[in-house]
Amino acid sequence: MSTRPGEQGRRDEAGPVKTRLNALLVAGLVVLLAGLVAYRSGYFNQIAITTMIFVILAASLNLITGTAGLLSLGHGAFFGVGAYAAALLSTKLGWPFWLTLPAAGAIAALVGAVVAVPTMRLTSIYFAVATLGIGEMIYVTLLNWVGVTRGPMGIRSIPGMEIFGLQGMVFNMAVTATLMLVALWLVHRLTHSYYGNSLRALREDDACADAMGIDVGRLKLQSFGMACCLAGVAGGLFAHTTGYISPESFRFGESILILSMIVVGGLGSIYGSIIGAVLLSVLPELLRDLGSYRMIAVGVVLFLSILFLPRGLVGEVSAIDLIRRQVKRDPNARRSAW
Amino acid sequence: MTATPPPLLSLRQITRRFGGLTAVDSVSAEIDRGELVGLIGPNGAGKTTLFNLISGVTPPSSGEVAFEGRTLTGLRPFEVARLGVARTFQNLRIFPNMTVFDNVSVGAIRDCGLSDALFERSSARGRDISDVSTEMLAKVGLADLADELAANLSYGKRKMLEIARALAGRPKLLILDEPAAGLNDTETIALAQFIENLRAEGLTVLLVEHDMGLVMRVCSRVIVLAFGRKIADADPATVRQDPAVLDAYLGTGDA
Amino acid sequence: MDPTVLLQQVVNGLSIGLVYALMAIGFTLIFGVLNVVNFAHGEVYTVGAFIGLLAITALQPPLWMVLGMVLLGGGIAGYVLERLAFRPFRRFRDEASIKSKAMREATLLSSLAVSIIVREALELKFSGEMQTIAQTYLLQTPIQLGPITITDGNLIIFGLSVASLGALQFVLYRTRIGLAIRAVSNNVLGAQFVGIDTGRAITATFVVGSMLGAIAGIMVGLYQGAIFPQMGFEPGVKAFVAMVMGGLSSIPGAVVCALILGVSESVATQFFSDGWKAIVSYSFLLLTLWFFPSGIFGSKKEKM
Repeated sequence: MSTRPGEQGRRDEAGPVKTRLNALLVAGLVVLLAGLVAYRSGYFNQIAITTMIFVILAASLNLITGTAGLLSLGHGAFFGVGAYAAALLSTKLGWPFWLTLPAAGAIAALVGAVVAVPTMRLTSIYFAVATLGIGEMIYVTLLNWVGVTRGPMGIRSIPGMEIFGLQGMVFNMAVTATLMLVALWLVHRLTHSYYGNSLRALREDDACADAMGIDVGRLKLQSFGMACCLAGVAGGLFAHTTGYISPESFRFGESILILSMIVVGGLGSIYGSIIGAVLLSVLPELLRDLGSYRMIAVGVVLFLSILFLPRGLVGEVSAIDLIRRQVKRDPNARRSAW
Repeated sequence: MTATPPPLLSLRQITRRFGGLTAVDSVSAEIDRGELVGLIGPNGAGKTTLFNLISGVTPPSSGEVAFEGRTLTGLRPFEVARLGVARTFQNLRIFPNMTVFDNVSVGAIRDCGLSDALFERSSARGRDISDVSTEMLAKVGLADLADELAANLSYGKRKMLEIARALAGRPKLLILDEPAAGLNDTETIALAQFIENLRAEGLTVLLVEHDMGLVMRVCSRVIVLAFGRKIADADPATVRQDPAVLDAYLGTGDA
Repeated sequence: MDPTVLLQQVVNGLSIGLVYALMAIGFTLIFGVLNVVNFAHGEVYTVGAFIGLLAITALQPPLWMVLGMVLLGGGIAGYVLERLAFRPFRRFRDEASIKSKAMREATLLSSLAVSIIVREALELKFSGEMQTIAQTYLLQTPIQLGPITITDGNLIIFGLSVASLGALQFVLYRTRIGLAIRAVSNNVLGAQFVGIDTGRAITATFVVGSMLGAIAGIMVGLYQGAIFPQMGFEPGVKAFVAMVMGGLSSIPGAVVCALILGVSESVATQFFSDGWKAIVSYSFLLLTLWFFPSGIFGSKKEKM
């Protein structure tokens, strides 16, 4: 019996058990959301929607950073590209959400691909800083291209999502939940497959993966594009469910927030993305009175996670373990042609 | 009149310069299908550079490498691999955070794409990869460790894992980079037997090695490099007595 | 475009470029010694400015004393930073681990986390507004030099920068700890083998680099009259850009590129509105990463 790809040596997780767990989780989600609807709190409903949006963001970032090992510090900017795309298409051209959301994803993917092409051959930290630069450039553009984006004033009165007369908070929640599940399924299929193995090979040793016949450049581009697409869709959801967006929501701090979610939750793990997103979305909201402490808390949590919880809570790889492995490697590898 | 098939791998005056240093100097050689050729030479002789020239990591300064008649110059490493050239690494580059099975599968994945990923359960490509991975794991004797994290393997098993990974691509030419490094005598003998079995199955093998015992034992032919130049290319017995070869090794303290 | 205006912009640009240069040197020193990106470098700049601010509001000492206190504070900040965000990840003794990719990523994240904490803590304490500084301290007294105007701030920045560079040269080439720093930058393992306390050398590098950053911070604060918690982010990025352009391990290269950045930015304000100014640096960054894998002035030593 051959092993299913992506199982990381955990002998206790046979196929059927995991499927049952997932089904249970989905059912739990439905119950939770139904409960929130019954509770009739617009505030809690909005938190739920925002959390689900961040789950999408976290899962998409985990695809490239956790699984493929490409540390991206600009993911928040692609979230913003999608949000602005959806906002502009709906306010200026009157497009309905079922057109703006795919368009937002496509545009974000396109921007991602364009900026990624030259960046692909950079190694880890230089790639990271390049994404930082790209993210900041996108932010500066959003802020200053006032003719199109209305700059710091943002775009208001973004129409909500509506189809066949269905609209409103409950509908928003349903759509967001559905898209979140689709995104999670997508990321799951990609990571738990041989394609996922080739992504992991990128993370572990991309030069070696190259020697094994894997088109490293194309793979990086594909995964980066897909992650940006998902981020763009999340952005569109954000635009339609909150009704107002401004550049401030899509800065470097946002990228770091998403990154922290997956570092805390666990790199390379979908459950980790969910846990991290929930933790870092829900808790700060519930402690709203201490709202200004939110970013400090993020910083502290990030720091402590890296130091003490290197695998995150349920992650696949840990930063410290990676260091230990590197110890065995040839110290001369740095000087070779690789 | 019989047409001789082109050699599997052919090096034609391949040269690689790094600034003022000529690491590989106009080396020409041929490897035919089914051969088991050894590549030896003292440290700094240019073996690694030659290796990198063949696998596409370094471009040649002049000269050419051809595989099955096709030139490899200008091809990226993954393209070279997809043509049928597989390799292992002297300093063991397995993927530590993946299972043994997944490690091996990487050798077979090649251009497995998105659609295969999304519909894998029913994809023929996925089944192919599973089959060849299982087969190669069994061949190197690691089948019972398939679910183990590669980082937990012992040194010797990691070596076999790398070979399994290289074989998963069903290569035509397998280049082994100092496979005997760090192995004791018993293990080296087992390795020698394993390599001979591979050759008996029709695989062409190029063995880069320091361990003279292994090379002399299994190789039908030995190429010797020193200071970037080829100084010998003959059967083991002849090479062992070649004065130029002995001269090159004198003073290096090499075994 | 009026040549006088252009010249004025160039002079302003050189001024700010020198500040970036001081930051870039600190960055390059740290990178050379540990092969890591110190994401918190921008924060020592901010901290320096705030220390100066606190000194001025609390004690109103003469300028040189303010600078001295900033230097001291900067050094302490650097020490704490190294201990907190970098040392814990250096658990192994050989070069391969000390300069490994994974460690670089881990310390990038940890220094990033520290920078967030510091920035947000300052924000909480002082709120995001710009702090006002007593008029007497502001380095904005204009001096006429023919058609262009410079301020005493420009002169002080220039003087301080030159003095700092001179002091750095002295430390690096005339003191034992400087020798240790250079040795560790060159070959960590080798330095250990000859008995150099690499831990101390690394800490010293952070201290020196942070001192330079802190001085840069207070100078800009006084020159532009604005001190606020977010002020360190952009100079930090620009320091990184200058380092990358200059070839990663070249201090002269970083200085030259920092000057280029400063002048380009300054001149660019003639053509674009202020908000777009940041694009200049990021464009330089991306262009360098894409087209000059070894930096504009760099050797082929370290590929990106």
